[in-house]
Formats: sequence, C-alpha cells, structure tokens
Amino acid sequence: MMIEDHIRAAAPRHPGGIERSPPALLKEPLEFLFAEHYRHRQMCKILEYLAVEPAFDASLIAATDDFIRYELALHVIDEEEDLFPLLRRRCEPDDDIEDVLGRLSADHALDQQLAQAVRSIFALALERRTPPSALPGGAEALLKLAKQEKGHMALENAVVMPLARRRLTVDDLEALSLRLAARRGVAAG
Amino acid sequence: MTLKRSASASPRGVAWPQVEAVTIGDLLQRNAHWAATKARIDPEYFRRLSAQQAPDYLWVGCSDARVPANEVVSLDPGELFVHRNVANLAPSQDANFLSVLQFAVEVLKVKHVIVCGHYGCGGVRAALSGKRHGMIDHWLAPIRCLYEDEAGYFDRILDFEARVNAVCEANVLAQVRAVASNPFVQEAWVRGQGLSVHGWIYSIKDGLIRDLETSVANRKEATRLRTRGGAAHG
Ligand SMILES: [Fe+2]
Ligand SMILES: [Fe+2]
Ligand SMILES: [Zn+2]
Repeated sequence: MMIEDHIRAAAPRHPGGIERSPPALLKEPLEFLFAEHYRHRQMCKILEYLAVEPAFDASLIAATDDFIRYELALHVIDEEEDLFPLLRRRCEPDDDIEDVLGRLSADHALDQQLAQAVRSIFALALERRTPPSALPGGAEALLKLAKQEKGHMALENAVVMPLARRRLTVDDLEALSLRLAARRGVAAG
Repeated sequence: MTLKRSASASPRGVAWPQVEAVTIGDLLQRNAHWAATKARIDPEYFRRLSAQQAPDYLWVGCSDARVPANEVVSLDPGELFVHRNVANLAPSQDANFLSVLQFAVEVLKVKHVIVCGHYGCGGVRAALSGKRHGMIDHWLAPIRCLYEDEAGYFDRILDFEARVNAVCEANVLAQVRAVASNPFVQEAWVRGQGLSVHGWIYSIKDGLIRDLETSVANRKEATRLRTRGGAAHG
C-alpha cells in the first residue's frame, strides 16, 4: 500500500520552499510553464515530506497551502482555458492529441478535489497546531495529491510541451505570454 | 438576487468575506454616487454623452452577468453598442437582433462587430446536457445542432467542461459566420462601407479575452470563412 511503502522508505529530508520563477521568464511562455512544472514537483516533495514529518511546521504548511490555493489554480487556467484550446486549434489530426488532452482535463477536475482535501487537512493542522501526518487521513490525502500531480506532469512534459513547441506560432507565443502575465497581475509594458 | 461582500471576523479572527443582500434602494444610492463621481471628475461628461451616440463597435455577447461588455474592454458609456442574449447568438430570424444589427450598421455605421462568447457558458452547457429546460431549449437549438453535426469531434473530448468550452468556441465561429453572411452586413460591404466582424472568447476565470482568429472584413473573406473546415476546427 502506498502510504506504508512511503513511511517504510527513508524519511524524506526537508525539501526547502518553492522558489518563484523569474518574472522575465513570462516572455518565454513555454519555458515559463515548464518552470511551473518544476515548482509543482517541488510542491510534491513538500507534500511527501509533510506526510511523514512528525514535527509541526506552521510556515511550511501555510506556504504550501498558499501555493495550492493560488499557483496551482492559476496553472490549471493557464492550461485548460489557454494552452489546451490553442493546441486544439493548432494541432493536425495526425498529432492525435485529443486523447491526451482529454485525460489531462479529467486530471485537472480530479486535482481540484484532491487539492481541496489537502487544504482541509492543512486548515485542521494549523488550527490544532498538529503536523498533518498526525491527523487521520492526513498522510493519505497529501500523498494522493503528490502522486496524481507527478503522473499528470510527466504526461504534460512528455507529450504536450513538445507538441506546443512544434505547433504554436510566434504570434501564439506572444499572445500566450501576455495572458500568462496578465493572469498574474503583470500588465504589458 | 445580487450579493455584496463585507468583511467580518471569522472564528479564527481573520477578516473573511461574507455576503449580504443588496437592496433595490441601495442600487439607486449607488447610481447617485456613480453619477456624482463622474460629474466631479468631468462636469460636462453626461452633457457630452447625451449630445450624440457614435460608437465604433457593436458587441454581441452573452447575457451572463459575469461578462459586462463595456467593462471588460474598458470602454466608456457611448463607446460600445451592445446586444446580449443567452449564449451570444446572431439568429437570422430574431427581430431583436436584426433591428440592432441594422441600426448599428446602417445608422451608427459601426466599424466592427464583435461576437464575444465565454468559456463555461451556461447556455452551451444546457444545450449539451441533453435535458429539457423549457423555452430556452428552443432558443439554444442551434447550439445543439452545431454540436450534433460534429459530435464525432466533440465527443472525443472526454471531459464535459472541456467539451463545453470547445463548443463555446465553435459557437462563436458559427455566429461570426452568421453575422458575416447577414444581408445587412453583405450590403454594407457592397456599398464599400468599412466593417469587420470578429470572434472572441472571454474567460470568467481570468477576465481575459482570446481572439479566435475569425475576423473578416469583406465578402471574399466571409466566403472563405464560411467554406473553411467544420465548426469544430474553424
Ligand atoms: Fe495540468
Ligand atoms: Fe501543467
Ligand atoms: Zn453564457
């Protein structure tokens, strides 16, 4: 079983926080999205750490909760209402992208449920000043989200990003860059 | 009912938005406040506006309360002629829409007609749901047809919300085609009047508009748009 395996394995070391991507990267939208995936992988490491860590770390929990609340939600919009529709318009029938995009969209819907479960655990942990690992269902909720996200990103990195690099035009990238920035409160200079 | 937010303390002492009802009287007060603010900044604002209406744009958008036309393109009153209905349709037999279109094209001589849909449109979702809702089903029948004509394409999008969004885009394209082949618009082009038709889609989740690259500015381009690909592929 997933949790027991995880607990039996050597306890993960403190993974550190999630660093911000440099704002200049917004000018390279696909690089930016790729870097976001890297930050999400960091989030997964933190979730795996918190799932077994016996000490209560309020600031790490709060920062991760903020990441899920703001950054993860924004990233789903980046893809679901921006990159994916654009790819649907640009890809050739031979690219056979629909099955992958369909699975990823279903993942995004599931992400929201799993993320909500993690946020509930975090809220309870902060309220009781208890590590999430000590709460009933805590480790399970955290590991579930981490596992789901890692599989999801692997598929996006392997299939979607290369296709986006191939199919999106210079104009597409410019418009995408403008919207990624606007979504984060950065207006075009 | 419209709701407004006000801050109050949550059990943990953090300010937390709560909703309370806005009364009809509040609206009149807000109106007075809005008019006063405008008049303070620009004493001639309303007199100037009342003297003429010369918008360059006709907006055909959805009735959805979360897509306020003027606001999302940051235009003042007087700058945008607006027609809204459920799911931003441009039906060639709807007297309301046709009156608006003719007035906009022939009297106001707008330079652009913008069909702006939005992702997650409740009208599109209702049309795809397969359930009976009442009168609205008749209004939404063109969207249902649009979907059924290309069901093979749309049904490959397994996630329902993603499929709704794809149909929202296809619907914008269909309405751009309808506007561009409307006799009022065709006649304007024959007269040599400068007029473009555009298809956009708005996201309620980020407030941003995406251009669906369906703009046409003459009869030739309109014909090309009509004959290119299916609804799904634009
Ligand atoms: Fe994703
Ligand atoms: Fe992603
Ligand atoms: Zn709508």
